[in-house]
Amino acid sequence: MQAEMSDVMRRSRSRDGAPPLPLAGEGWGEGISTKKTPLEEQALSRIASLDAMRPPPQAGEVKQARQQLQRIEERRPLHKLMLRLSLFGALALVAAPAHAFIAYVSNEKSNTVSVIDTDSWTVTKTIKVGQRPRGIDFTRDGKFVMVAVGDDDTIQVIDAKTQSVVDSLPSGPDPELFAQDAAGKILYVANENDNTVTVIDLEKRARLGDIQVGVEPEGMTISPDGKTLINTSETTNMAHFIDTSSRQIVANVLVDARPRFAEFKHDSSEVWVSSEIGGTVSIIDPKKHEVIGKVTFEIPGLRKEAIQPVGIGMTKDDKTAFIALGPANRIAVVDVASRKVTKYLLVGQRVWHMAFTPDEKYLLTTNGVSNDVSVIDIVAQKVIKTIQVGELPWGVTIAP
Amino acid sequence: MKVWLLAAMAIALSGTAARAADPRYPDWPCTQAKVPEISLAAVWAGPPLDDVQNKWKDDARISALVAKLSARKTPLEEAEKSVKEYLAASASDKTTNAKLLFAGLFDTLNAQRSQVMLGLERVSRKQREAADKIREETLELQALQGVTPRDEAKVEALSNELIWKTRIFEDRHKVVRFVCEVPTAIDQRLFALGRVIQQEME
Repeated sequence: MQAEMSDVMRRSRSRDGAPPLPLAGEGWGEGISTKKTPLEEQALSRIASLDAMRPPPQAGEVKQARQQLQRIEERRPLHKLMLRLSLFGALALVAAPAHAFIAYVSNEKSNTVSVIDTDSWTVTKTIKVGQRPRGIDFTRDGKFVMVAVGDDDTIQVIDAKTQSVVDSLPSGPDPELFAQDAAGKILYVANENDNTVTVIDLEKRARLGDIQVGVEPEGMTISPDGKTLINTSETTNMAHFIDTSSRQIVANVLVDARPRFAEFKHDSSEVWVSSEIGGTVSIIDPKKHEVIGKVTFEIPGLRKEAIQPVGIGMTKDDKTAFIALGPANRIAVVDVASRKVTKYLLVGQRVWHMAFTPDEKYLLTTNGVSNDVSVIDIVAQKVIKTIQVGELPWGVTIAP
Repeated sequence: MKVWLLAAMAIALSGTAARAADPRYPDWPCTQAKVPEISLAAVWAGPPLDDVQNKWKDDARISALVAKLSARKTPLEEAEKSVKEYLAASASDKTTNAKLLFAGLFDTLNAQRSQVMLGLERVSRKQREAADKIREETLELQALQGVTPRDEAKVEALSNELIWKTRIFEDRHKVVRFVCEVPTAIDQRLFALGRVIQQEME
């Protein structure tokens, strides 16, 4: 017994009497990544998918119902009133406003995806997914939602009709964010842990290969012509320009500390890259591979280090950019031509990512600490709504 | 045997208390980064509050409301509802009342948050002392057990004491982990209430 004891003592009094290292699992928590057994999780999501909840009306259904009404009205104008009355009940159920879109929000901590209806601005369903969901995007045909579940080392596929997980894609370890080409055929996935970008054939749902990139790949975007993939590396502070046909890095552009997100202007003339620690957005000429300008931020009363740009959204006319400023709890509205901030909008706590509704009337932002989504009216440049979602909302995507 | 196991565990645990992530705050025991104070601009985009500072305390109704809204036992939803009701009834004084109310919440919740953080650091220091003590007594017990003839009564007494100390240490350790969430919970409350107040002012 004595020998056994002193062994324990020796181990716990290592390094000149300095307190020993914590036992596994007894630390103060290593961030929020909490791996459970994947099997148990999968079983849970299977059960959730079996739970056949009726999905909310899709955008198409409402439109269809309205068209039907219109057609009937045109044919039999005399009975207009009668028909209105009889159809009133049915229509009231599918809600009236014309802009019914469906938004999906990944909740990093609660391992769920919240489904939001943009008519009622409410959460209509919460889908159980794998562990640590972050990057999220609709397939181009609007039929599926892909969500990177980093701690399960895969990308799950949600069927937009049944609103349940139906498949998964073969990413590398710890996928965080991904980008797809314009045709929606090829998916490029940034795997945070092994410094690679995985290339996936979306139709076959098969892995085509890997591209070696910088340390901790993070931001991903593809040029509108599909020829160039931009990947930012958190640790080396670079934006890598990758030729999608040769899958080789053709240029590296140094930006400010911890680049997080990259976004092309729709006319392909500029790439905007946000730097979370540097507190700036670098504007890169994608032909010359040079930084040609920077957007800087200043909010009276806020320390510089609280301004941490991450997500970027640009309107289709390339006139206005929206930049999420993390713990500054604000979205900066930027005039793209002058590269100057015209307004700051207080949204929610630790705002990171965003998505426009297809009609560009609204912008939805994910606010990680206040656990909600803010809705910005683009024309009025005002926050009009706040929607509570799961814990630590990360990304958001809206049906095309 | 049980004593040894517990003691060894306690010593191992003490290592975590001493592992500070931010060198500026060696006593800070949480994984959550320590942000000593909430800056006003992070939670408020409304009109400047310079002209109402401290005046909220002079208004009995507002200070009572501030106390109610700041209490964690008041559910956030209920608190938000109270804000709306109060401001809806304010009519012409709405802007002034909104500013006074937020100034009060900002002062009160920031103070509450500082207190919690000071408490966490105090407990963290105490835990370090407790760990040192447990380590010392474990050695003492080891020595006592090695002596022949063994003083069984003394060994027994020290063993029991060690079990107690270890248990207290572990309980505190667990509590600290829960309390680490409190500063963030206060941030969330202040932000949520501030947002409702600003919306009501528009």
